[in-house]
Amino acid sequence: MEDTKDKNNFLRIFYTYRPILLVLPALILFIIFFIIPVLSMFVLAFDKPVTGVLDLQGKWTLKSFLRIYNRSLYFDAAVTSVSLAALASLITLIIGYPLAYLIAKTENVARNTFLMILVLCAMQLDMVIRLFGLMVLMGDNGLINGALMYFNIIEKPIGLMYNKLGVLVGLIQFSLPFMVLSLIGIIRGISPAVVEASRSLGASPNQAFWKIIIPLSMPGILAGTLLVFAISISSYIVPALMGGWKVMVMPLHVYQQIAEMGKWQFGSAIAVVLFCTSLLSVIVYQRVAIRIGGGRA
Amino acid sequence: MSKAKIREVNELGTLVKIGSGIALAILLIPVFIVVLTGLNSGDHLTFPPEGISLRWIFAFFRSEEFLSAFLFSFGLALITMTLSTIFGTLAAIFITRFSFPGSQLLRALFLSPLILPGIVLGLALYIFYVSTDIGLARSYPGMVIAHMLVTMPYVIGTVSASLFNFDLNLEQAARSLGASPLTAFRKVTLPNISNGVMAGSVFAFIVSFGQFDVSLFMATPNNTPLPIALYWSLRYTFEPTAAAAGIFAIALVITSMLITSKLVNLQKFSGVKFD
Repeated sequence: MEDTKDKNNFLRIFYTYRPILLVLPALILFIIFFIIPVLSMFVLAFDKPVTGVLDLQGKWTLKSFLRIYNRSLYFDAAVTSVSLAALASLITLIIGYPLAYLIAKTENVARNTFLMILVLCAMQLDMVIRLFGLMVLMGDNGLINGALMYFNIIEKPIGLMYNKLGVLVGLIQFSLPFMVLSLIGIIRGISPAVVEASRSLGASPNQAFWKIIIPLSMPGILAGTLLVFAISISSYIVPALMGGWKVMVMPLHVYQQIAEMGKWQFGSAIAVVLFCTSLLSVIVYQRVAIRIGGGRA
Repeated sequence: MSKAKIREVNELGTLVKIGSGIALAILLIPVFIVVLTGLNSGDHLTFPPEGISLRWIFAFFRSEEFLSAFLFSFGLALITMTLSTIFGTLAAIFITRFSFPGSQLLRALFLSPLILPGIVLGLALYIFYVSTDIGLARSYPGMVIAHMLVTMPYVIGTVSASLFNFDLNLEQAARSLGASPLTAFRKVTLPNISNGVMAGSVFAFIVSFGQFDVSLFMATPNNTPLPIALYWSLRYTFEPTAAAAGIFAIALVITSMLITSKLVNLQKFSGVKFD
């Protein structure tokens, strides 16, 4: 009894009198270790770039950003990043839509849960492990090349990996679950009555699909593609392993500049560009998500 | 229904099934290959496979590199989960229960580590640790903090969702029957959101366990999480021992997701990343 009372008093302070105490630990953590570090990284990006110097010099300049723009090495990396992410979003949409549709329309609870668990497991499993599987499949001595040579279809291995194709396949594998999850909710929300109405007015199932279901799933399609774009452009591990450092994208340059060259200001500037590109697509994503989900995507 | 119409319905259904099959294949084949590699008897997985053995599983248990990384990640995930669940649940209660100017902003702040590219967050923290020189650079506490930042959004997301779904009238009924705000919360609300809290902590665990991006700048030879150890080995060779470690990670993820499916309704579960 005494014990309960103690606990009560402890919680009462939290819940009745000082509710702000509830959020304080998390808030302090976020201010010190999230807001301040991210802001300092932004500030650093505008400081004079000097190799090996991390301390703030206060000599504000746009030199690092101009360097990204002027040097083809970095500008091309930005272009590669954007184009690979855009391509990945498009292909992921085409591949992900049927599965999302199937899951949304599966009414059997057990089967639905089973499919959801498959998608969630694929999503939550460490990406490095998934890439291990993909690399064993697509490498020069991998299963695909091995099988093709075994059946004498090809004579020497075809390069499926350590090029843009490899990175693209990796990004699709990485982002597919996110696309499927973004689509399921919106497809499930489409009223069967609308589809039936179109059918009763003489539309074929194909017409109903393309003219009714696809336009009604547009918000989910938009949200999913933007989300996949944002996470694909930010991925370090996929281009690092599937591209074998031959396909240079922005996240690889960030790591290289900082960890290998000690160019703190320049590395931060690339990180800022990367962040802003992905933020832009996320802002649009959230606008869309708020409109379709009443605030909760 | 005419025969032509039946065929049309089937055609659409067939297309959906074929498409779903392709999507599931892309999602699952790499995972199967890891399992096969870990269980094959040759030095690496070839086509056709040589045979099945447990030699790489045993090699994993003897391997200094991967076993220690696995245990390191497991411990790190447990600590991260505990701290994130406590911090995150309290914050979620505050955000959902007390409306004040800026509460939406606060919610957005807590979810924002999800939209920040992991490598950018890792870099920002690394710069902060090195420049402030408070002993967090390449340290264990430094890594725990980084993992807390990326896992707390999941806890806050799931707990707030279960608080939203909870019928506030129940708590108000308890209040009108004479319970104090605290008793009403403890006896009525808390038992109802406990599933959400547990699901959130499972997510925190598994996200921390599989975390690569923010760990990249934090890892040292003494503090090497499994994803980083696998990455370093994968850059040079496809070791079946690494695949054996992967098998255990896969088992862990499947277990976690089965637990989650018992705790929350997966059918209402979508857009995890930005909820």
